[in-house]
Amino acid sequence: MEKSSDFTLYGRIQQKDKEALEQLYDRYEKILFSFLVKMTEDPDLAEEALQEVFIKIWRGKGEYNESKGKFTSWLFTMSRNVAIDLIRKRKKPTVPLEEVGELVNNESTVEEAAEWQEQKEQIETAVQELSGEQQKMIQLFYFKGYTHEKIASICDIPLGTVKSRIRLALKKLKKSLHGVQERGAIDD
Amino acid sequence: MTKMDCEYVVDYLNGTFSEEEIREFENHLKNCADCQQIIELTGELPYLAEPIEPPAEMKTRILAKVFEEDVTEEQQLEPKPAAVPMAKRTPRRNWWTPLIAAVLLLSLLGNAYAFLQLSDQPETETAMREVNLQPSELFEGAAQVKLIREDEALDVVVSAEGLEELQGDEIYQVWLLKEGQPIPAGAFKPNPNGEGAAYFSLEENTEGWDTIAITREPQAGNELPQGDIVLSSEL
Repeated sequence: MEKSSDFTLYGRIQQKDKEALEQLYDRYEKILFSFLVKMTEDPDLAEEALQEVFIKIWRGKGEYNESKGKFTSWLFTMSRNVAIDLIRKRKKPTVPLEEVGELVNNESTVEEAAEWQEQKEQIETAVQELSGEQQKMIQLFYFKGYTHEKIASICDIPLGTVKSRIRLALKKLKKSLHGVQERGAIDD
Repeated sequence: MTKMDCEYVVDYLNGTFSEEEIREFENHLKNCADCQQIIELTGELPYLAEPIEPPAEMKTRILAKVFEEDVTEEQQLEPKPAAVPMAKRTPRRNWWTPLIAAVLLLSLLGNAYAFLQLSDQPETETAMREVNLQPSELFEGAAQVKLIREDEALDVVVSAEGLEELQGDEIYQVWLLKEGQPIPAGAFKPNPNGEGAAYFSLEENTEGWDTIAITREPQAGNELPQGDIVLSSEL
């Protein structure tokens, strides 16, 4: 249901329906902003990225269609790529490497929306089932947007294996997440 | 690339593919459960982020920027006669009412700061050029323009400071010129601190611009400059 309504909104946006864009903005502002702050570690840069994302959506660049999977997958991937571009352009030095390894932050805010909280807990649990190296792969690749060269040197692994390790880490994470979600469904 | 397999899912996610490669990979995706799962995961991974309350005014700022392009288009009301022939320009949609255009222009004021900050970004790998505009005699103020080439479009981002206050309906209008022929490329009113910013995107006819200029126009919407040039530069 959510999927079809995102898709419907997107269709209306293609027709230059301003209200539809606003609705889409309201729906994803918080998750996108939080995600972009996590990536950029800079709220100003995150806002800049978010602006760029909605400009792209409004202009119909990088069109979405259902062969690209879920709308959120497309939206988040596009946002991630916008953030990576901005991160690479910015002047500020990137985070010190010691801080990079930490993917799961166990402190959670009390007043989080229940849905978000549940989703977050599930994926955090799934992340914890990964090996340390796999967690690092996901952090460096997905959230930091590091190049394969950089990942190879940080993790001290051959460049040629980076891509397949990232892929295996993602695949494993999805599998673990699936398991977590199924266990959750049984508990309910 | 002829053999699209699972190995490429990482490149696909990184958005480094050409249109054709995207199509090829999406064909692979249709029949590959593993890759579908990974793509699906990207709809869930961002929830690892700590929830952060977005700044209250962010929505207004962002939506104003997003719709700004259309506002600029709507300002092209009646072309004013002038000595310079009009540059050929792609016709665009005109669906905004002038009223909304005026309201959005006002909200632009709040954006000046964000764009001034943007101008601190160093130029790197994307096709981006930065040019400082020179003030005309008797004009105090400075402006910088960034030309960003992205896909098939040329984005023009102007940020200005130290601008003189405008009177009545006056507006600062940005122009791109090719061999003496101007097209309007964004307009702005400065905030009380004399800072202003404009954003404009060209989707066609993106090559060959040799000059950029800002004039002080008696009103918004001129197709050709009427007012004096206050800042300009060769490109």
